[in-house]
Amino acid sequence: MSETAINRTDQLTDEEKYEKLREFIQENSDKKGYLIPILYEAQSLFGYLPVEVQRFVADEMNISVSEVFGVVTFYSYFKTQPVGRHTITICMGTACYVRGAKKILEALQDKLGIKMGDTTEDLRFTLGEQRCFGSCGMAPVIMIDKDVHGRLTPNKLDAILEKYK
Amino acid sequence: MNNIRTQLLLCHGTSCMSNGATTVREALEEALREANLEKEVEIITTGCMGICELGPIMVVYPDGVFYQQLKPEDAREIVQEHILKGRVVQHLFYKKPKSEELVAMMEEIDFFKLQKRIARRNCGIIDVNTIDDYIGADGFMALGKALTEMTPQEVIEEVKKSGLRGRGGAGFPTGLKWDFAAKAKGEKKYILCNADEGDPGAFMDRSMLEGDSYSVLEAMMIGGYAIGANQGYIYVRAEYPLAIERLKIAISELRKHQLLGKNILGTGFDFDVEIRMGAGAFVCGEETALMRSIEGKRGEPRPRPPFPANKGLFEVPTVLNNVETLANIPYIILHGADNFASVGTEKSKGTKIFALAGNINNTGLIEVPIGITLGEIVYNIGGGIPGNKKFKAVQIGGPSGGCIPAQHLNAIVDYESLKELGAIMGSGGLIVMDEDTCMVDIARYFMEFIQDESCGKCTPCREGTRVMLKILTRICEGKGKMEDLDTLEELSYNIKDTALCGLGQTAPNPVLSTLRYFRHEYIEHIRDKKCRAGVCAELVYAPCSNSCPASVNVPAYLAYTKEGQYDKAMQAHLRANPFPAVCGRVCPAFCESRCRRKDIDDAINIRAVKRFMADQDVDYLDCFPEKKNKNGKKVAVIGAGPSGLSNAYFLTMLGYEVAVFEAQPKAGGMLTYAIPSYRLPKDIVEKEIKALVDYGVQIKTNVRVGEDITLDELRSEGYEAFYISTGSWDCVMAGMGDTGDPRIFSGLDFLSKFNKKEKLEIGKEVLVIGGGNSAIDAARTAKRLGANVTIAYRRTREEMPADEAEIIEAEREGIKISLLQNIKEVTPKKESLEVELVNMRLGEYDSSGRRRPIEIKGSTFIKKVDALILAIGQKPKISDLVKGEKIELNRNSTIPTEKGITKVKDIFAGGDVVLGAATVVEAIGEAQNAAEAIDFYLTGKIKVYPWRIKDPVNVEFDPESEPVDFKRSKDNLIPVEDRGVYDEVEKTWSKDTTCRESERCLRCEYRED
Amino acid sequence: MKNLEELKIMRERVKKDLQLRAGKHRVKIVVGMGSCGIAAGARETMNEFLNLIEKSNKTDIIVTASGCFGFCAQEPMIHVYVEDKKPVTYRNVDIEAAQEIFDNHILNGKIVEKYLFSKGKK
Repeated sequence: MSETAINRTDQLTDEEKYEKLREFIQENSDKKGYLIPILYEAQSLFGYLPVEVQRFVADEMNISVSEVFGVVTFYSYFKTQPVGRHTITICMGTACYVRGAKKILEALQDKLGIKMGDTTEDLRFTLGEQRCFGSCGMAPVIMIDKDVHGRLTPNKLDAILEKYK
Repeated sequence: MNNIRTQLLLCHGTSCMSNGATTVREALEEALREANLEKEVEIITTGCMGICELGPIMVVYPDGVFYQQLKPEDAREIVQEHILKGRVVQHLFYKKPKSEELVAMMEEIDFFKLQKRIARRNCGIIDVNTIDDYIGADGFMALGKALTEMTPQEVIEEVKKSGLRGRGGAGFPTGLKWDFAAKAKGEKKYILCNADEGDPGAFMDRSMLEGDSYSVLEAMMIGGYAIGANQGYIYVRAEYPLAIERLKIAISELRKHQLLGKNILGTGFDFDVEIRMGAGAFVCGEETALMRSIEGKRGEPRPRPPFPANKGLFEVPTVLNNVETLANIPYIILHGADNFASVGTEKSKGTKIFALAGNINNTGLIEVPIGITLGEIVYNIGGGIPGNKKFKAVQIGGPSGGCIPAQHLNAIVDYESLKELGAIMGSGGLIVMDEDTCMVDIARYFMEFIQDESCGKCTPCREGTRVMLKILTRICEGKGKMEDLDTLEELSYNIKDTALCGLGQTAPNPVLSTLRYFRHEYIEHIRDKKCRAGVCAELVYAPCSNSCPASVNVPAYLAYTKEGQYDKAMQAHLRANPFPAVCGRVCPAFCESRCRRKDIDDAINIRAVKRFMADQDVDYLDCFPEKKNKNGKKVAVIGAGPSGLSNAYFLTMLGYEVAVFEAQPKAGGMLTYAIPSYRLPKDIVEKEIKALVDYGVQIKTNVRVGEDITLDELRSEGYEAFYISTGSWDCVMAGMGDTGDPRIFSGLDFLSKFNKKEKLEIGKEVLVIGGGNSAIDAARTAKRLGANVTIAYRRTREEMPADEAEIIEAEREGIKISLLQNIKEVTPKKESLEVELVNMRLGEYDSSGRRRPIEIKGSTFIKKVDALILAIGQKPKISDLVKGEKIELNRNSTIPTEKGITKVKDIFAGGDVVLGAATVVEAIGEAQNAAEAIDFYLTGKIKVYPWRIKDPVNVEFDPESEPVDFKRSKDNLIPVEDRGVYDEVEKTWSKDTTCRESERCLRCEYRED
Repeated sequence: MKNLEELKIMRERVKKDLQLRAGKHRVKIVVGMGSCGIAAGARETMNEFLNLIEKSNKTDIIVTASGCFGFCAQEPMIHVYVEDKKPVTYRNVDIEAAQEIFDNHILNGKIVEKYLFSKGKK
């Protein structure tokens, strides 16, 4: 389950994904309060949680769509829009902030031509921010997919982005 | 075989063999037989130990003593002395080669030395991929002990007795929490581990789980046994994939060894555990919200009571403990509550893990005994602030915590004392902030965080923080009002009293604590539209200009100088500072300290460029701003130093008729009399003063106001306002000048005699006391007069207030600096002065964040010298001048002012008489403020003053282009051996060097229109 | 394991194994593999050590992964345990450093100064 939205299972057809999700729900039907882990699985399969998937989860778990929707919108981890092939997350934790995260953000927005939270037109990058991923020792840091890049300055960005096609 | 008590490990590597290891072995065997020890001592031949050049070598176990370069004849001595009598044979010891001095046995490194690892005892040591190492490190022994030797109640009592308090932030006693849940009625109970570490800057839980999940799991089982729970949940942030992976490994290892499931260790105790992932909601760190989230719902908090101990997860009794809290449990059970409680303070026992981050050299995770001081953490463990920046504050406790400024570095770290200071222990984020951090911006940042993360359920948190954020943002943009500060405080107390959960109730803390300690920064943002740290973009033209006390338009004169447009460069400079040639030589260049070019390589050498610009043949009169028409008002300036002259210049610019009264025969103050000519040639000073006179400033020398003429007499002559800038000329002599011995000088007295080219008899050996610029100037001057010079300073090199570059030059010129030494007494003898000196050590931190020097008792010694120069402090001397005026002086004899304004409405003051010994450029900044205050006093109108205006830089700049690849050019210093007595040691750069240097400017002032 | 006795037996066995002298390994390299360490390149460092061991055909050297030791500013960090000697800690161990440490310290017993901590402040 450490697979996240970023490493989606592109090779599967939608039907296969739904089938996998159904299996996962049934396997864990005895566990209490398992909606959130199920949504994780769903997001890792589909890359994000469109309304159809939320409805499917609700039906399979025999709960209301509004309950699923309420949970999905509460947690920032769950996405209802498609995301880019790579997710760039800028750490806006205090340590990064005082070490110049603002400058990194400005530079990234400039380079990618998108605003915070948006995805580039070619679906290459999604730009997000987060409060601290606990790599304060390397501040300022960004995370691209699962890789943390630390001790950044704006002029190191080009070389880093280059690695993610 | 079983009575072997000692093993001798004798190296039988090839190299040792060839050096005679075999004969050594034979001799040892013989000696052992002789001593009847052959049954107790075993000789083991080993493979190569790797230090072949020292062979033959041997290690004695279990003592671990290492002998080297053994010969057969040593055998008997070793057996008789070491083995029989237990005395090691020192002369056969392993001599530490130089490399071994450096060998980092971890305990020798400051970073580790002050730490005490209880919770993190296994982190970084055990193998995370198997259970073996953990078991080898006594893993699960605590669980075994609890299950087989203790009742659940005994476990609880032990934890209570240990004094362990929750490490997640609130500090609630863990034993008590367990007791409540144990006593609660219910078939089913849960124990939860909170690993939803959301505070920015905190990462101890992540590291704990990554390094030693086993301890946490063992602790949950012990807790489960104690309260009667058979099921645990660990709630981990999804942002911690590696921690989750390691937890999974640990859980599967436990299962493999039947340490989870039914009938654990055959004791009938059942326990199982499940991982649940958080999904990016900060509020889920709050206990009731976390439980809802595990239930699969929106993680909104609910009011308490009922408390989770009675009605928690799925409505049954539940205990929630933080990761770090749990990691302490196995240690407590295994080693006993008393052992644990021996660390810490009276009310806070054990250790605390902090994530040390921000502007600090040694970032990392530290586990320290509770009760350590903040200073020890920042300087001894953290290694201080990078880049010689000044420490400003630590932020401790994340968004629920507060900041603690430099004057509290001696505060001990425990739950109570942190609370008193307005912070909290919190989860353990400890972020160090230096002078480049804006405290208003930090408050805004935390408020933005809280706004983002507020779950929105209750109004005070949702709406209150929204309004607070709006106000803070406004202040950061320079649009704040003074009333905003009261509103912020009111809202803060309101939210604290009425919010539903802990997150909301503590949300205003960062604002309250920054208001408590850094109110002046808020006021600067609102009133002066200034962000001293240079962070708030709307208030910062460019970082260099922003950090210049006189706000000189640095990018402008750099750009124009590069283009060869020296008149335009000078215009931009002179508008705010009439002393470019002086500052081009002696300015400490505050501008360079914040230069953004540092992010790429080094700051621009702004001072050297300025010097080149000012040394070009440009007529100052053509470049001064145009004077306003005369307004017929007269102002008197008292003291013709840089501050007084600048103030007169600014007022002349506005149309005033200004006379500067100077007690000395020449104008210039410190520029003329104190700064030695090899640093600042006097013709340069004269040139710049003459330009001011030509501009219209009148200077009346040899007039001592207060003696020759009084303020009242000047008032009757029609002067409507006074600017006092008489400097700081009274040297602190600590009673040592009393003897009247001509061989004892004050620093300023000595320098002023030198600058007047008076004859100075100083002999061969000269001792200078002090660490400021005057001390260095005096020492270099004495050196030029042919003496051997030593400077004694009572703190260490890092604390010396003098400019680093000056200290380096002094050393290069052959001056010896003796650190941690202070003067106690001087006894003049006929042939020499006998100076009694004492060695010092550094003690606790003073309010400036520097460590106080303390005498080492009994370490005094006598040094015989021919002359003694005391440069240990200067203060103003103005009692005569302000006699009869209602001005009360500060304790250090300076005049208290607020932007140049004093208690008396027509008297203004600035420069060293206000600041104490400071710099030229600060004196000019003071003059600007006072000129504005005087103008407002005399006209009642608020204006935009010429020195505040920064005209657009009319030099083409392509923001897309890559910065030029030139490195910072060095100052053009002449070789030490070529330096004369009076000649300037630095030369002006060539045009080429200057152009290259100014081209390095990143043009931070540039804005897209 | 079924009871406390078995746990104790396992502990003694493991403890013995951990004493390198009694075990089959001469050298143990412990690489700090916390998030910080990995971000700073600890994975590459670890792989490099594994490569070097393979190339050297030595069988008495093992590499293990541990958590973070806390000194994030100096990651990647490793501890080198050589039998009968106190452990040595290296900092900023990148691939190049790994090669030097392997050749000098692990194979030939010579400590590589430049990757050590200095005793006090830097």
